[in-house]
Amino acid sequence: MRDFDTFPILQRQLSTMSHAAPPPILLVAPRRALVDEVIRVRVDNLPPGAPVTLRCLHQSEDKDYWEAYGHYVSDATGSVSVADDVSLGGTYRGAEVMGLLWSMRPVPGSRTGLRLRKRNVCTPMAFTISVYDGHVDRDFGGRRPLAEDLMERWYMAPGVSRVEVKERGVRGTLFIPPGPGPFPGLLDMWGGGGGLLEYRSALLASHGYVSFALEYFAPGELASADLEFKYFETAFELVRRHPAVIPRKVGIFGLSLGALVAVNMAAESTVVKPACCVCISGSHYFPRKTHLSKVHQPIAPASRKGRMDEEQNLIWRDISLPISSDLSRKTDVRRINCPVLLVIGLDDQNHPAAEYAEDMAQMMRSVGKEHLLTRLEYPDTGHLIEPPYSPHFRATNFMWKGKVTLLWGGRSKAHSDAQEDSWNKMLAFLRRHLYSPQVPEARM
Amino acid sequence: MIWTQVRVAVYRHLIGKSLTPNVGLHRKHCCLHRAAGPDLTHLSPPAMRRISTGPAPVLTAAPARGLVDDPLSIKASFLPPYHPVTLCAQMRSEDGDLWEAFGHYNTSADGTVNLARDHSVGGSYLGREPMGLFWALQPAPGEREGLRLRKKNVEIPHIVDISLLEGHVTPRERASAELAVATTERWYMAPGVQRIDIRQNGVVGTLFLPPGPGRFPAMVDLWGMGGGLVEYRSCLFASRGFASFTVAFMEHKDLTVQLNVNSADAYMKKAFNILQDHPQIHGDRIGVIGLSYGVYLALRLATRSEVNPSCLVCINGPAGSNVEITRTFCKPKVSASDQRFWPRDDAGYLSFKDMSLPKNYSPGTVVELGNLACPMMYILGEDDQNCPSIENSNMIEHVLTASGKSHLYTCLSYPGAGHLIEPPYSPNARISAWRIKPEKILALWGGHTAPHAAAQEDSWKKILNFLDENLRA
Repeated sequence: MRDFDTFPILQRQLSTMSHAAPPPILLVAPRRALVDEVIRVRVDNLPPGAPVTLRCLHQSEDKDYWEAYGHYVSDATGSVSVADDVSLGGTYRGAEVMGLLWSMRPVPGSRTGLRLRKRNVCTPMAFTISVYDGHVDRDFGGRRPLAEDLMERWYMAPGVSRVEVKERGVRGTLFIPPGPGPFPGLLDMWGGGGGLLEYRSALLASHGYVSFALEYFAPGELASADLEFKYFETAFELVRRHPAVIPRKVGIFGLSLGALVAVNMAAESTVVKPACCVCISGSHYFPRKTHLSKVHQPIAPASRKGRMDEEQNLIWRDISLPISSDLSRKTDVRRINCPVLLVIGLDDQNHPAAEYAEDMAQMMRSVGKEHLLTRLEYPDTGHLIEPPYSPHFRATNFMWKGKVTLLWGGRSKAHSDAQEDSWNKMLAFLRRHLYSPQVPEARM
Repeated sequence: MIWTQVRVAVYRHLIGKSLTPNVGLHRKHCCLHRAAGPDLTHLSPPAMRRISTGPAPVLTAAPARGLVDDPLSIKASFLPPYHPVTLCAQMRSEDGDLWEAFGHYNTSADGTVNLARDHSVGGSYLGREPMGLFWALQPAPGEREGLRLRKKNVEIPHIVDISLLEGHVTPRERASAELAVATTERWYMAPGVQRIDIRQNGVVGTLFLPPGPGRFPAMVDLWGMGGGLVEYRSCLFASRGFASFTVAFMEHKDLTVQLNVNSADAYMKKAFNILQDHPQIHGDRIGVIGLSYGVYLALRLATRSEVNPSCLVCINGPAGSNVEITRTFCKPKVSASDQRFWPRDDAGYLSFKDMSLPKNYSPGTVVELGNLACPMMYILGEDDQNCPSIENSNMIEHVLTASGKSHLYTCLSYPGAGHLIEPPYSPNARISAWRIKPEKILALWGGHTAPHAAAQEDSWKKILNFLDENLRA
């Protein structure tokens, strides 16, 4: 508590903080970074014990505004350090180094069911970090900040090349690190939403892998030639045969439907021999008589296995349950001969990855191959496990027989921790199997 | 407070081993020898490139996108132990010239190279120099004479490729010996910095504002008789939180009036007022920085006019003037015969050194240092061949002491540094082309590569601290 009668100078300082005295100094570093790099945010030159709000604002390519903010109190030296201090309120609480990024959500009044995804990876995402007097929760736009700084986050490191590919019927974008190479390669596949998402491949190339973001399900198409097995095999071969790629060191990276395809190829393709697989929120579920375009979707009307939650979000996790012992409904993972990393959210409401992972482990154990399998399981984590510090989406819009909202699951803090931890472990896994010399007992 | 003169002995030593001359001498100004070490030359490069079925060497340079005064961490790994490699930097200037630098290293027992830890044993620089690949950049053999690396468009970065090469080679072998590459961007402009053209009250300049509402402390930024409008230092100040106004005072197409020494006073005052009146700038927290002739203008601004800067930074410049200097300043169009009368040293390079000795100053032109009312930092290169900075600094110190104002004065004196003490990690130009027309003239600035780089690095940190203390506290 401050006694204003006894400390008139302090009172003057507080009331004229943005006029006579030098303004607070906001330091954000690094100001240009890759999206998986950690930032340091601090404010100095505040009065001691001053309540302030730190806010991060971003306008997406779709023109929606996303924000995160934390409530802080400066220490005796008049400083706030996001890494060390505790947020007392806002979109995140506690000592959260990256809270200003992972807790971002659309500003109040925005359209619903939004998802933040960068389409043009050749430009950065721009974030404005601002300091406001007091603990503010709304109407930031109507207030003047005490200080402000701009920050750029990039998916693509300098020197990475981006090459559009249309070859032998396969469509996608190839990202190649700078230098003479050759480099290990990756086939990178997303989920049943389809289209072409380049950002993860750009980021993987920034870490030294030739990465091919594969397009399938061109928007609007549901049953195209893409979804034949051969399409994915051709895509893998394109990477393997690229002059910048080491042929023995090509892996597969897949999320959701992409993970299903990855596991299936690793086990059953006679052509594709990946050096390793990373499978996020996927499994060995693979109903063979079903066309790939329908694999992840409810075949029957939603009133059957697809449920809804209280907000009308569709829950699809039960579609593929119970797990069958029939090999016509799942990939025979006993035939896998490469290391596989499974990344699983235990609150995945779209796919029962954890249950299937247990079944997969049993199958592989039965032929003495369990050592090839590594499982990372994260509590309170949903389906969309993305590169770190991107915001969490519990339910978003999805095109399926019109626009619906799908429930992905997860709670923001736990899900964000999982994104950060799993990304580091995925990179370590890739480094171990695609860069380092072969080591027996290849479990992380 | 007692005045301080700090003689900064930041000097990079050449390795004192018995040195064997090496055909890899790069440029005549650098003294480059390969120290005695294991002879691995019997292994030909192609055989060494994939010495095992192990992983390919990896090269990292972080931050990949940094400001020009951010040091880089450059590391290589997955190499054989005790193995010779070359680190090489190459970039194209805005004029299309190729600049390059390289260092010869031997990997450690764990097969790594770390420029913060390891010593270069040959190439463009020697010893433990984490940023040697940048400050030792030189035009590649065959490029034009008298080049100086200066950024014109500060809104886009310099792109520098760092390569890891097999063996102890020169950049000529890059194509055949390259093992890995890391590309870096070096920026003068941080995200959110605004660049604003100022043409106001006859004042010609560019204002750089940091991001945010302000109010910001600010600098007036003055260069030398090269003329024109030099933006990069101001841009960098704004990237570090200080608004900065670089002002043209000669040889600029938008200057409506040819200035002379006296009209320059009024002009500089107007420039200062533009900052004071700016809504995002703190009128009580404005300093002035000057290099070369800009020092004289800065000192006049601080001692003759009614403005009160909060601090002064003076780099290698005069505290007085004379007819010859004035004539150079004021002449609108220089003719070949004028150029012939410019002072030259024995080698034919342009040098104002003798002309600017304090003993040659005309009476009445020496600034009235007794009027100084703010802290002043004088930065001098002891190998300055353009301006007698040591003599000027001594004179300033003498007069301030006599006026009882020595507590305001700090002098940083750098052995081996030349005239052009600029933001860190940029290469020094010991000589450069100062005028192209009517005849090409090369000016001698002085400064030896390694000590000059050390001076730039150290002085920049000290300048920013000085501004923090005087403009932010």
